[in-house]
Amino acid sequence: MKKFLTNRDFILFAIIMIGLVAVGFANPLFVTPSSISDVLTDTSILIILALSQMIVILIRAIDLSVASNLALSGMLISLLSTVHPELPVYYFIALSCVIGTVLGVLNGVSIAILKVPFIVTTLGTLSIYRGLIYFVSDGKQVYSNEFSKDFLALIHYKFLSLSFLFWLAVAVFIIIYILLNHTRFGRNLYSLGGNPDAAKYIGINENKYIILAYSISGFFAGLCGYLWVARYSVASTQIAIGFELTVISACVVGGISVMGGVGTVLGCVLGALLIGLIRNALPAVDISQFWQLAISGAIILIAIIINTKTEQRKEKTIMVEN
Amino acid sequence: MKLELKNISKNFHGVKALQNVDFQLKDNSIHALLGENGAGKSTLVKILCGVYQPDSGSIHLNNQEQTISDPAISLSLGISAIHQESVMFDELTVTENIFIGNHLTKSNRLIDWTLMESKTKQLLEELEANIEPNEKIKDLSIAQRHIVQISRSLIHDADIVIMDEPTASLSQKEINELYTIIRNLKKQNKSIIFISHKLDEVMEVCDDFTVLRDGELIKSDIITNTDKDQLITHMAGREVNQIFPKNNVTIENEIFQVRDFYKKTQFKDINFNLRKKEILGFYGLVGSGRTEIMKSIFGITKPDEGDIHFKDQKINIAKPSDAINQGIVYLSEERQQLGMTGLMSVKDNINMAIMERNSQFYIMDTLKEIKNASAMQEKLNIKVSYWSQLTQSLSGGNQQKTVIAKWLSTKPEVLILDEPTKGIDVRSKSAVHEFMGELVGEGMSIIMISSELPEILGMCDRVVVMYKGLIKEILNVKNASSEQIVKLASGES
Repeated sequence: MKKFLTNRDFILFAIIMIGLVAVGFANPLFVTPSSISDVLTDTSILIILALSQMIVILIRAIDLSVASNLALSGMLISLLSTVHPELPVYYFIALSCVIGTVLGVLNGVSIAILKVPFIVTTLGTLSIYRGLIYFVSDGKQVYSNEFSKDFLALIHYKFLSLSFLFWLAVAVFIIIYILLNHTRFGRNLYSLGGNPDAAKYIGINENKYIILAYSISGFFAGLCGYLWVARYSVASTQIAIGFELTVISACVVGGISVMGGVGTVLGCVLGALLIGLIRNALPAVDISQFWQLAISGAIILIAIIINTKTEQRKEKTIMVEN
Repeated sequence: MKLELKNISKNFHGVKALQNVDFQLKDNSIHALLGENGAGKSTLVKILCGVYQPDSGSIHLNNQEQTISDPAISLSLGISAIHQESVMFDELTVTENIFIGNHLTKSNRLIDWTLMESKTKQLLEELEANIEPNEKIKDLSIAQRHIVQISRSLIHDADIVIMDEPTASLSQKEINELYTIIRNLKKQNKSIIFISHKLDEVMEVCDDFTVLRDGELIKSDIITNTDKDQLITHMAGREVNQIFPKNNVTIENEIFQVRDFYKKTQFKDINFNLRKKEILGFYGLVGSGRTEIMKSIFGITKPDEGDIHFKDQKINIAKPSDAINQGIVYLSEERQQLGMTGLMSVKDNINMAIMERNSQFYIMDTLKEIKNASAMQEKLNIKVSYWSQLTQSLSGGNQQKTVIAKWLSTKPEVLILDEPTKGIDVRSKSAVHEFMGELVGEGMSIIMISSELPEILGMCDRVVVMYKGLIKEILNVKNASSEQIVKLASGES
């Protein structure tokens, strides 16, 4: 039981439940099945991106370019769909993923091969990818009536009265869970982030893992490019601006240590859910809009303080008293 | 012959770490690798692990010549090292640390956790170790960590297991358990290279021995042909071939006393005094608690019990600035990390600790700073081309002088030097020594931690010998022999 209570994922789950109950008292409408289903749908993209960001954070890096990558991939397929509305939607999804992956590989190569620090690389590509959207779109928007019916239909598909987006997030959760816990690749990411020197001793090729981690982050950014555009039925230069910070917050709240090598897939999802809940619940309980940003920031900070407090290390022992 | 090293040499920036060393490891043997700190043992081990490449010489495994160009190759050749410093993954479980880099997978290429866990459990049971496979490494004791590392080499099916001071911080019971494991390894047809400073244990466990000194092979034989005293002579028996320019100063009255210092798991019953114009040495193995005591005196960490008396008054040091204000300064062993800021200029580094004295109303007086810096440069003979030169561009010796200059600027009365000549070339070394002589001549008192016996014998008036967090004895250097000091420091008497 004690072990259970010190489990970070459990604490996070409890916080979400308590939050849900508290919001329920203030506004009973918020905890109806349909409204909770809406929150889940609304948080799905955040969950997917947080999971892929987690892979990068595990190896002591960060990908700041995800939101720009998402927006650029989304814009490129939107433009294509206005020219070729007859193509099936799967083409667009696949293309979006490919574009995202290429953009991710570029990050990885810059960091691993050209040795540009990750923060500089992704800060640079954050601007470059966003800037390219203006270039390809001439600064114009693609409106909902310009997309083909097919393009937008998939996103509104429902199963067991839960949205396509939600089920996709569940699928990504399972895939990343297996990847990180049940493949050599995933376990090597943990060892590389946990103790890079020791990882070299056992022959792990750091550069390969950096490039692969950024490629995965790019792949899911590309996937979310399609999801975002289809869900909001609009592609513009401004979509998802600043969203990378929400994604990183979700990881940190979920207990993914920015020092690398620590964090669970479940924790990451719970972190994203908590942030999704805060974003949706604060308007529902009549908190002034002026306060919302500050309050959600404060909650994130408190979560980080709890994380660092539980991470204090032991002193080495010289003298054995017995 | 399982392993044979022929004529291995390795230089680091002109310092000879190994010179034409031969080493032979027989099948089925536990081979002790002996020598003082800095004798070249670690370099030899790192060459075997593929971390360093030898400058010359050859490595033969089972009579075949091999090139070990990186750690992965060393592992695949069946060489596995249990390092002193941790190469484990604190946040991962025991099972995973044992299988790391070598995860077992099912036919669908997913990791087979059940199989790995049951193998781990079986292995730990064979070793009679009371460790759960799914415990995290950070929750284990040091002895348990050693066992996990040993298990790792067993899983990798290592032929040669290198153990670098495996018993350094274990209790007697844990040590006995470890011996059983080592003897079991031998029965399984493996050879072990055993590095230890404890000669009793070497005599008990090992079959063969090799002694290195100053990077040279001194003696290699079977253990029954020697005894402890001979080994000590082999290890320590060098002539003091450096000149230690110690001025003849008259030592005056006691000015500084440490009383009953105690910190849990670090050190206990620490009592010593320091007299004016004296150089007091602290000798002991790496990790015997010397640095930890000095950090507590300087206020970096807090001792659980104990007082410091300075000039007949009890003083309270809660943080480093208290110590500096009293005139006590500490020069860290890790000068690069803790002593200086490489990206700041030499002048700024020298003046870093006396900003208050060099400023008026919080505005820095550059003229005063330059005055102090040039006085220090002259005194210490720091080779610097211009004042705004970055400290990191200086040589190791000049960096060390810059750090010393920084602390001397505070006009201290008690100077604590932690390995002041570690990793600097011979000429800078003697410059530092010369300078220490001058300082005591001017009335300063010095505490010097050193792992180099000649330095202790050449520079100090008295030496405090430490072993595992305890003071074994305080000797007058004039009447002490190097054998006696080595004996005390390895817990032999």
